[in-house]
Amino acid sequence: MNATERCLSRRGLLKILGMASSGIAASRWLAPDAGMAQQPAPEKAIETFTGPGANPHWNSVGPYVTEPQKVPLILLTDRPVQLETPRHYFRTAFTPNEAFYVRWHLDGIPNAVDLKDWKLHIQGNVNNPLSLSLPDLKQKFKPVSLAAVNQCSGNSRSRLQPRVPGGQWGNGAMGNAMWTGVRLRELLDMAGVKSGSMQAQFQGLETGQGPAGLGSNLFLKSLDLGNPVLDECVVAYLMNGEPLPMLNGFPVRLVVPGYFSTYWTKCLTWIRVLNAPDENFWVKTGYRVPDTPRGNTTPEDVKAGKVKMVPIGRLPVRSFLISPDGSSKIPAGMNVTLRGIAFSGFGAVNRVEVSDDGGKNWVAANLGENHGAYSFRTWESSWMAKSPGRYSLAVRATDEKGDTQPDEPVWNPGGYLWNRVERQEIVAGNAS
Amino acid sequence: MKNRARAIFPVMCSLVMAAVVYAELKKGYYSPAELGALRQAVPIELSPDSNFQVSSYPVPAVDLAPGDGLQDVQIYCNTCHSPRYITMQPPLPAATWEAEVNKMNKTFGAAIPDDNTQKIILYLQAHYAPDTRKQ
Repeated sequence: MNATERCLSRRGLLKILGMASSGIAASRWLAPDAGMAQQPAPEKAIETFTGPGANPHWNSVGPYVTEPQKVPLILLTDRPVQLETPRHYFRTAFTPNEAFYVRWHLDGIPNAVDLKDWKLHIQGNVNNPLSLSLPDLKQKFKPVSLAAVNQCSGNSRSRLQPRVPGGQWGNGAMGNAMWTGVRLRELLDMAGVKSGSMQAQFQGLETGQGPAGLGSNLFLKSLDLGNPVLDECVVAYLMNGEPLPMLNGFPVRLVVPGYFSTYWTKCLTWIRVLNAPDENFWVKTGYRVPDTPRGNTTPEDVKAGKVKMVPIGRLPVRSFLISPDGSSKIPAGMNVTLRGIAFSGFGAVNRVEVSDDGGKNWVAANLGENHGAYSFRTWESSWMAKSPGRYSLAVRATDEKGDTQPDEPVWNPGGYLWNRVERQEIVAGNAS
Repeated sequence: MKNRARAIFPVMCSLVMAAVVYAELKKGYYSPAELGALRQAVPIELSPDSNFQVSSYPVPAVDLAPGDGLQDVQIYCNTCHSPRYITMQPPLPAATWEAEVNKMNKTFGAAIPDDNTQKIILYLQAHYAPDTRKQ
């Protein structure tokens, strides 16, 4: 081959390649995805952690994992198990059992419960200690059903600035279910609480590797016997009409309507009436919040020892935009339905408002079916992006006590009680 | 010789073209391996007795930064909880890591020997603080 020929061949090769590429381009143009303006970039995995700034995502950033009786959920930790519910499962008032978030404190959690042996024991400072089987609970007591939100005390902890150690939840450490079971009060009455009793202590089947007497060995929670919430508590054997998933507390769990989940003991097996205040770690030290409005304080005040801490209690009012979630563009000039949920542990949500200018102007949303004061309340609002651009949608709720979600952050050392107004950027694209 | 070269040339060309076409078609249509599919679990065998059982809870491997103290973390921290409790955290200041490890000993009774406690604290500060943490 001489030099000219070689040159021609190179040109020929380039020509052929050029033709090939235009052929590919043409075939793509003819293909069904012809509207694509350009080759899409491959999807990238989300970052493995967030911080020291606030987590900018609605959910936490862990990988999806499939655990027994569950759809793939977002993994926070595997031993003990902590799983977060992805955002889209909150489109409905009731959260499916298989998508319901999971939070355990100690690594010894049951894989199995033999109902031939399992009993719910009511003991301690009572006249007639009881040991009740699951059929006893179903047959000897009138069943009650109640919709109630179960929210982790640390839900949205990854929003705090400065960040605090602990489970780095996004917003998905919450769920709403229809709980069916027995009134706690009826159980206590049957056992006969002795006068002078102070608290009821709850223990499930969860155990840890730590030495006896420490918080790393048993997870124990107590409520004052004088707390009116005791009259509303239910020992639930059904969740949305089905047995509870093992990871959510099979065979029964305590439901404490309006209160954070820390009191909702899973695999509840011992109810102990105490004649002195519970001094165990999970009551005396854990799950405490500053005795201030919204549980708000500063790292400086904590360091200076200025902050009085009290046990965490009821859920402050919150609301969320669930869809659209900002992951897709919306054509400008088209009406879309904004959907979400709201709840409060202090009384029914009676107003939800939406803003599309970051919180300057608010429009009332339509509330969905009322499933009771402690349930998620769905809301909807028709919205149109008038012109292409970036919109900051915000949502806020007000409960019957008159409390409206504030637009200021919360900070406390445990990372509890976050309830700031939520925002979502929505991109409206040019429709013509 | 010349004839042979002329015969090979179109073959080479078509091979190159095929490779280009193949590469072009593949580009952008497959997610990177890290977004790989999750396999479904086999339903467990159920019998109508009184034992209500589920499969064991999975414990996926945790990617910990290599370095001095890693072995101490794997031995001592792992006793009560998986080291994912470390990788889940945001970058934490050195003093916070020290307080966390001390809490494990004092509040939760971990009883990690002093030398190993110190090595664990230094390891966490060296890899999981705001100025040291890597994605």
